[in-house]
Amino acid sequence: MAKKEMSFWASQRLQAKITSWILYIITWAGAVVFVIPLVWMISTSLKAPDQIFTVPPKWIPYSQLYLKYDTRILAQFDGKVLIENEAEGIKRIQLGTFSHVIPENAEIKVKNKQKVKKGDLLATLPTSGKVRIIINPDKSKILQVVAKGGFVIKEIQATQDTRFVVKDGDTVTVGAKLADIMPQWSNYMKAWAPKALDETFNRYLLNTVIITFFGILGTLLSSSFVAYGFARFKFPFKNELFLVMVSTMMIPAQVTMIPTFFLFKMFGWIDTFLPLIVPTFFGGGAFNIFLLRQFFLTIPFELDEAARIDGCNYLQVFYMILLPLVKPALVTTAIFGFVYNWNDFMNPLIYLNSTSNYTLALGLQTFTTMYGTDYNLMMAASTIVLLPILIMFFFGQRYFIEGVATTGLKG
Amino acid sequence: MIDKPLKKSKMSMAAQEGMWGYFFLSPWILGMILFTGGPIIASFLLAFCNWDLITTPQWIGFDNFARMFTDSRFLASLYNTFYYTLFAVPLGIVGSVLVALLMNQEWKSVRILRTIYYLPSVTAGVASAIIWMWLLNPDFGLINYGLKLIGITGPQWMADENWSKPALIIMSLWGVGGNMIIYLAGLQGVPRQLYEAAEIDGAGMIQKFWNVTVPMLTPVIFFNLIMSIVASFQIFTQVYVMTGGQGGPADSTLVLVLYIYQHAFKFHNMGYASALAWVLFIIILIFTLIQFKVSGGWVHYEGELKK
Repeated sequence: MAKKEMSFWASQRLQAKITSWILYIITWAGAVVFVIPLVWMISTSLKAPDQIFTVPPKWIPYSQLYLKYDTRILAQFDGKVLIENEAEGIKRIQLGTFSHVIPENAEIKVKNKQKVKKGDLLATLPTSGKVRIIINPDKSKILQVVAKGGFVIKEIQATQDTRFVVKDGDTVTVGAKLADIMPQWSNYMKAWAPKALDETFNRYLLNTVIITFFGILGTLLSSSFVAYGFARFKFPFKNELFLVMVSTMMIPAQVTMIPTFFLFKMFGWIDTFLPLIVPTFFGGGAFNIFLLRQFFLTIPFELDEAARIDGCNYLQVFYMILLPLVKPALVTTAIFGFVYNWNDFMNPLIYLNSTSNYTLALGLQTFTTMYGTDYNLMMAASTIVLLPILIMFFFGQRYFIEGVATTGLKG
Repeated sequence: MIDKPLKKSKMSMAAQEGMWGYFFLSPWILGMILFTGGPIIASFLLAFCNWDLITTPQWIGFDNFARMFTDSRFLASLYNTFYYTLFAVPLGIVGSVLVALLMNQEWKSVRILRTIYYLPSVTAGVASAIIWMWLLNPDFGLINYGLKLIGITGPQWMADENWSKPALIIMSLWGVGGNMIIYLAGLQGVPRQLYEAAEIDGAGMIQKFWNVTVPMLTPVIFFNLIMSIVASFQIFTQVYVMTGGQGGPADSTLVLVLYIYQHAFKFHNMGYASALAWVLFIIILIFTLIQFKVSGGWVHYEGELKK
């Protein structure tokens, strides 16, 4: 009896262990799926144009370039060939409307005025040539393989991130490795200063930093101020006002959008940063007030009273005693403010008209309409815009989680 | 509360405290009047007007609302918004609760896992919409490549009016990590004794989940459900970026907020746009009220949480 029970418990524990392992594997598989879009973004951002549209997709933005070309020149249709000297060292095989220009050292397999059938071998191109590397003013490079008489057998367009393994003047034969196509860091330069846009991302970055800085400042100052009022004072209609504040979170911004737009238009604030900054100084958002109030409530009231007895007025209690104690909550508010302002799209879209006032989000959107198929450049631009958010996230993760856990709301 | 006669000095103290309270609330009260209360009233009045932002508004009564019934683009936008919400919200809640349950395990790498699942929700915006445009590319996108590996020919996604909304819903699920953190906090607040008591009563894993975890989570789910619906009805940025502000193909992703935006800032029909915004507001209000009404049936409040 006892033995039977033992094995029963052992099997249950084993079962639990197996279940736990299965869940663990599923969780990691899910995590891989979740992280793939970001990995894919970075991978694509470092690709050369001909690495983007490949099946199967290429994960590592690196490839090797070999000298490959068809050395045979075949007749496209039946007819009579004409062989002429085109220039010094270059010959031309004419077949009806087709003509093939070939270097003198190509092996011509037919005689002048010979009749050929479709598919007949007319000539074979030389299997080797000399390397010539041309560097364009924009730092992109062209690699040519040149046969006798300056005839170019093969031409390859390369970017500045293509690392040639052959030198100018080297003799190469078919199948030789010519270059390593390295991760295209130059994509980031191209995305940062796009030719098709009036402004560079320098400008967008500056604008976004200004808006985000003042947005966070306004939010921190006013939301902590108001939260202190809600957390520490008794006054008529306090609960009603608090309820009003919480319920404003449910009002869609579109309801207030049009009259607010008109208000700012009357102030002459359209196409300035003011509509994006000034409102943050008036409360800083219900969510933030709510968050900070929760934190203020965790601080013992005796601290306030002690400070009051020492002769502090309420303002002094606020900024000398309580603010330093809610520093973690302020950091949380600042981080949420950062993410909100950095990602905000609708407000800048409505209020900012001239491209010189655009934020990164607006600039990025314009960028995609201009470079819609250059996915490598679009991903480079997206990475640039996301990078500060990602950095902020890794350093401030604790604060994000605390903020959400305290309020039960996302930022 | 018993009304006790207060001494004069004490009363002035209370009054003084009240004054200070209002002093600290003043930025919010001012902002509330200027940027919320005032505009709400103005927008309500504008909903009954014809206004191009330049000339004086003309009172046209219920014309804006009557117009909606025959406005096929409005009806399409309403349909699209409901469709999106109907799928994105429940799937998002189920997804985030499931992920939170997994993240509540005692694994060594659980911190890294939490970071990975949470990360996408902070990237929400133009950049993530662009990433998804690329992922959903019909010919060279990763998603259709993945589908091909398991033998499915992927659809044209944002280029096909039947698949553009599912594409948006799939995209939204990438962000479940944000709500996951909320549920995780909720899960960690469930007292251990409850599980222990259930174990003594002989409850297995599944029974513990349905009889302890789920009821204890319902207040969080309830609150989150409301906020998710509010947010979902306001989907805008992703659609704007992925369709160049059009809501295509064939208006299949024209959502209500995008339609409001188009009328307000493209066609300058401020009156009609205000009326549309009010429709959005009322829909959200109705949904919220319904949820509060039915919440008594399924939301479980534990002792002091009930107020």
